[in-house]
Amino acid sequence: MHTSRVPRPRTRRFRLRNGLEVLLAPNPASPTASVWVWYRVGSKNEHPGITGGAHWLEHMLFQGTPKYAKGEIDRAILNVGGLLNAFTDLDYTAYFATVPREHLDILIDIEADRMTRALLMPKEVDRERTVVLSEREGNENWPEFRVEEELYELAFRRHPYRWDALGYRTDIEHMGAEDLRGYYRRFYGTRNAVLVVSGGFDPRTVEREVRRQFSPLPAGGADPTVREVEPPARGERRSTLSGPGTTPLIAIAYRSPSIDERTAPATMLIDVLLGGETRIFSAGGRSRSGEHPGARLYRALVDPGLAVRATSEWRARVHPGLFTVYAQASAGVALDRIEAAIDGVLDRLACEGPTTAELSEARTKVLRGAALAYEGATRAGYRLGYFASIMPPGFEDRLYREILATRASEIRDTARALFSKDQRTVVRYEVVGGRSVD
Amino acid sequence: MTERHDPLRMEYGTHDAGLRLLRQSPPAGAASASITYVGPAGTGFDPAGGEGIARMVARLATCAAGPFGRVALARELDRAGATLTSQIAPESAEITIWGPAAGWESLLELLSHAVLRPRFDPEDIERVQRQLLESQLRELTQPAHRAERELFRAIFPTGHPYRETGWGSARSVGGIDRGRLVRFHSEHYTAEGGVLVATIPAPLKRLERASARWRGHFARARAPSSLRPRPVLGHRVVREVEMAGRSQTEVHVGGPSIARSREEFPAAFLANEVLGGRPLLSRLFQDIRERAGLAYHASSDLEAMRLGGYWIAQAGTNPRSARRVAALLIGEVDRMGNELVRARELDQIRESAIGEMALSLETTPTAHELAVDLAYHDLPADYWLGWPSTLRALRPRSIREAAALALDGRRAATVLAGPLA
Repeated sequence: MHTSRVPRPRTRRFRLRNGLEVLLAPNPASPTASVWVWYRVGSKNEHPGITGGAHWLEHMLFQGTPKYAKGEIDRAILNVGGLLNAFTDLDYTAYFATVPREHLDILIDIEADRMTRALLMPKEVDRERTVVLSEREGNENWPEFRVEEELYELAFRRHPYRWDALGYRTDIEHMGAEDLRGYYRRFYGTRNAVLVVSGGFDPRTVEREVRRQFSPLPAGGADPTVREVEPPARGERRSTLSGPGTTPLIAIAYRSPSIDERTAPATMLIDVLLGGETRIFSAGGRSRSGEHPGARLYRALVDPGLAVRATSEWRARVHPGLFTVYAQASAGVALDRIEAAIDGVLDRLACEGPTTAELSEARTKVLRGAALAYEGATRAGYRLGYFASIMPPGFEDRLYREILATRASEIRDTARALFSKDQRTVVRYEVVGGRSVD
Repeated sequence: MTERHDPLRMEYGTHDAGLRLLRQSPPAGAASASITYVGPAGTGFDPAGGEGIARMVARLATCAAGPFGRVALARELDRAGATLTSQIAPESAEITIWGPAAGWESLLELLSHAVLRPRFDPEDIERVQRQLLESQLRELTQPAHRAERELFRAIFPTGHPYRETGWGSARSVGGIDRGRLVRFHSEHYTAEGGVLVATIPAPLKRLERASARWRGHFARARAPSSLRPRPVLGHRVVREVEMAGRSQTEVHVGGPSIARSREEFPAAFLANEVLGGRPLLSRLFQDIRERAGLAYHASSDLEAMRLGGYWIAQAGTNPRSARRVAALLIGEVDRMGNELVRARELDQIRESAIGEMALSLETTPTAHELAVDLAYHDLPADYWLGWPSTLRALRPRSIREAAALALDGRRAATVLAGPLA
């Protein structure tokens, strides 16, 4: 499939004088319309003491403005059958809602209003504290969350990627409305935001409305660039956790490039070759039960019965991040054997590169996966905003071209640089208190 | 919206092997197609001592089928840009393929391999057995899964098709061999009792022609004998499962409910939406999260199937709050059956549920879910077109009566799983 055949909605992209980037992707046939606001700030813009603040603030943007009292944002959208949500990442925070197309106006009004006018009442902030703690506690019930949190904590010593977007428990217990207000005033505003409208609407009418609602807003928005640079590690870092669970887990993370580095396309293809998919190209639909029997990790670990699942993950990040390999042991298999098998897989790719057939299949997988990614207003809004919020304009097209042009030797060389053992972090999770079902 | 593109206007067709067909148009502008076979192959059909077999068959059907071993099938799907998945419930199993609309006939062909000719290769059987063993442990060690398992065991007696979650035990899964898998498949992936639902950009006639190739490939035309539900819980019970080392306690309250075919279903549906089914607006969300700040998630579900059903109200909370949350859950359930819903609250929830129909028509997979539900329950082809007026005709009294019947707190089980303060 040629890149020009990866279907994408026709999009008008422009910037207001106050810096707001706007993407309008009309689809006259769509019965719904979706509005997304992506802020280029996330937990990377926190500091110790207010970790989890970006996420808590995200919750608070549903808790009232002078115009929309607490609960009114939810009701305004849900009463017409819409859906709404938000999520906070290390790099960005996104808010969205989708409604039957005739109700689009209300969404634009809400997003313009809460961009700078959230109340953040101390009483409401305090009440929400137990909710965000509960969200964290629910995650802590999963060994996978504990492993990932430990992995980032260990891999990064200076860079704010080291804490999870949910934040440290102690910070959530101690920070208050003033801390959230400080972050909000500092980073929220048109300059750090991308507004996406997708689905069934008249683009001229909506552009007028967007200009009317957002142009008067202050640009605000301090530069979200993180200055801290994570220094190279002075050797491998390791940690072993233990707790309740099913079978032991292992995660091995390597320092990886940021999304705008030259080796990004090769790194994505390595992710596909090893784990069978890449998250930024997954179509947003259902995956094949997470099973990718042609992928190298699957063949080396799951096929011979060492692991019940094995995969890799590289997420597009604004700053250098982690390329991680995960495996969950089969019952009775020691993690030493799993780790040795993973090393063998990575060494082989770094030594020999992919076969021609493998590389061709990986490219097909990436491009075919992208083909249906824009179906529906909600998914189109997600994908357009995601790319626009952390990548430069035209990035997606360039990436497809580069993926098609990436040679096997480049993948081999990238893998060789990526899988450096003295720059890696290994976290193991050993199960205590496991029991048989019989 | 033109009729040609209206996914709510569905058509039933016939298949001379006894398989029912349903065709639906994809939403306007959608580039994908979805096709699902639903058969009487759910976990409720697991034979005594062979628990886990229904899940194994469904999973193996999507691994390797017809001429394709597991790697070849994965490559074929990648080439087609398609995904093949299975889903299982107590009464039924679904095998679904989703991919580019232009290639729907190829998708149907791939689906036919999965449904009619799964290979059950020995190495796949061994792998899936290992994975099932891990899932069994997850059910025991993960509070949310454990709470659900214990709840079903509290509500449904031994032998009831809804009692077990279908993961089996180490012994039962270990004893499942290829012969048993082949036998279960031939008895349960049948034409009769099955339905093929296609959300495709082609008329029904073409679907009938294309699916004619399925004829003669079902190992058996006849559906298996029906499941036999037994009498269920008649009084309240509370079970506490101490699970140390976790941060959160899962609280599940639930009980038996009605079949989808009951005339009270629409009112029961709305009652559940008021209780906890409608995100953010529901009473459970408002009480437990928004007012009390006791949980991140608090919701309820109503599962109405062919023979009966169940309801669950649930929340995850700090161990110190678990008993308080349990009391709030059961209190709201009781209120549904005892008090009339205020007109304003009912209108709000009802209009939200009706408005949501438009969102269901955003993509092929979401529209397809409506079609699968309609076909499986043998509802009229225009059922969803009439859904808004069905809901608007309901009054607070019928909601209360349906709640007392379908969300009956008087015979609810409560399970707390996690650390117990």
